Amino acid sequence: MRTRDLSTKLIILLATLVLTGVYVLPIYVMVVTSLKIPVEISQRAYLIPTRNLQFQNYAEAFRLVYPSLINSSIISFVVTILAAFFGGLSGYYLSRSRSAFVRVLFILVGVALYLPYQVILIPLVQFMAKTRMALTHAGLIVSYLILNVPLASVLMGTFFLSIPRELEEAAQVDGANRLQLFFRVVSPVSLPAYASTAIIVFTQVWNEFLLALTLSTPATTTIQVKLAEVKGSFVALYNIQMASALIGVLIPLSFFLLLGRYFIRGVLAGALKG
Amino acid sequence: MNRKPRHSFKQCFSKVLESLPFLTPLLVFLVILYGMLGWTLYVSMANWVGTAPNYEFAGLRWYQMMFRLDRFRVDMSNNVKWLALGVFPTVILALFLAYMLEIGSVKQIEGYVRTLILYPVAMSFVVTGTIWSWMYQPDKGVLNTILRALGLSELVGRYTTHPAAATYWLILIFIWQYLGFAVIILQSSFRTTELQEMVEAAIVDGASKLRILFSVIVPNIRGGILILVSLLLISALKVFDIVYVVTFGGPGYSTDVLALFMFIATFQQHLVALGAGLGMIIFIMALVIVIPYTIYAFRKWFE
Repeated sequence: MRTRDLSTKLIILLATLVLTGVYVLPIYVMVVTSLKIPVEISQRAYLIPTRNLQFQNYAEAFRLVYPSLINSSIISFVVTILAAFFGGLSGYYLSRSRSAFVRVLFILVGVALYLPYQVILIPLVQFMAKTRMALTHAGLIVSYLILNVPLASVLMGTFFLSIPRELEEAAQVDGANRLQLFFRVVSPVSLPAYASTAIIVFTQVWNEFLLALTLSTPATTTIQVKLAEVKGSFVALYNIQMASALIGVLIPLSFFLLLGRYFIRGVLAGALKG
Repeated sequence: MNRKPRHSFKQCFSKVLESLPFLTPLLVFLVILYGMLGWTLYVSMANWVGTAPNYEFAGLRWYQMMFRLDRFRVDMSNNVKWLALGVFPTVILALFLAYMLEIGSVKQIEGYVRTLILYPVAMSFVVTGTIWSWMYQPDKGVLNTILRALGLSELVGRYTTHPAAATYWLILIFIWQYLGFAVIILQSSFRTTELQEMVEAAIVDGASKLRILFSVIVPNIRGGILILVSLLLISALKVFDIVYVVTFGGPGYSTDVLALFMFIATFQQHLVALGAGLGMIIFIMALVIVIPYTIYAFRKWFE
């Protein structure tokens, strides 16, 4: 449905320009501010790029957030790998079985999928404190798995539903059992699906704030908690705030820019479009 | 006669055995999740105040107290604002944008606009909140500076420091962040063969572009819209980070939402029973939002 109508084209052009302003301005401001000295900012000259680029702002911001970057990387990578693996297993079964049990399970998963963490926060904190898991990365890893395994199951299942069954039927004739089918036939052709699911889970965990805020201890502070702390304690130092924030988005943003196709497929699978 | 049930029992058993390696991890996490949900419900009816657990049964006392709180009423009305204004403008805007991208004749523009409006999806609310705090800062912030530079000083605003308007400015951040997400979901709904054919037919009949959008496309992508609306509603309900980072509920508690109050009541005021009750209210709202989504997903999954 492409148009050749001139007025429509003009509207599209205009809308594109407006969107460019609205979506480039915040990033532009962020980059420009991050390279200034506080005096320049307080002189209200922050929209114009400075000649005197302050790259040491990044050095200082990096010193601040470095430990939390490591914590977030450990937590996010472990959760991503486990959630994709477990989600692949259960997503496969959910997409292949039509038994009454699986139907009930699907409803329980569907409700769990997008539950706000607030509904389990109190018992979770108590549990993590009692088992002392909160003192290590394991506390946040397990907590994130609780909601991300159901999510990964639905994402993976959505992808598996779109794989033709003929592939499995052929292998079944050769006497392969379910597990062999899954590991030798279905999973190898589903690597893009794993990539999409992994990117979505990783981004979610990396960007999560509430659980990280309540459960993290000084040894496990995540990047989002650190960024909020930087914003609170460097109130007037917008340059440091912006430099830290830019460092904090670097990993998920580069995933998005480099692997955008998988990212979009993951988002669409979340909307049940395999 | 006797053999048949035994056979089917055996079959049943082997089926369970077969499903175990696949479903065990999911089942474990679901049990934890629903167990903790039940526990939250129980705590909300206990008399737990302070840091040490207290499970003495208090019935609905804390709920009654909650409903009398002015802060709870402010939260509810703010949550309704978030749900209504965070979701519906986003969907309408996304509908026009997705349509525009579909009928726009330049492929490059489509790729550019998609990346442009989708990148915030990869960013956290903490980061977006940090940037927008700086945009909104009344004294030195970006928006007011631009307005002053353009000679529009009368438009200079207080944004998130104005008690009556602050929530709306926060919601604007949410719309900014979720617009791209909404556009790609709607765009993918447009791309079914049946719909494309219907649109072609409507063009041949000489229908106007707006007419095609509202009489042909919208009625045929109801499923996609339902999913999108549910996902946006649940995200708007979950909003905690934006409020925490930008205003922390202030000025006063004018921008407070249930998600933030739950956190403050539990971990700062140590009114744990009240916090659990707020958690249950959030759960009920989430359930209402998620049920249509789940039913739709169920039908689609097992069709």
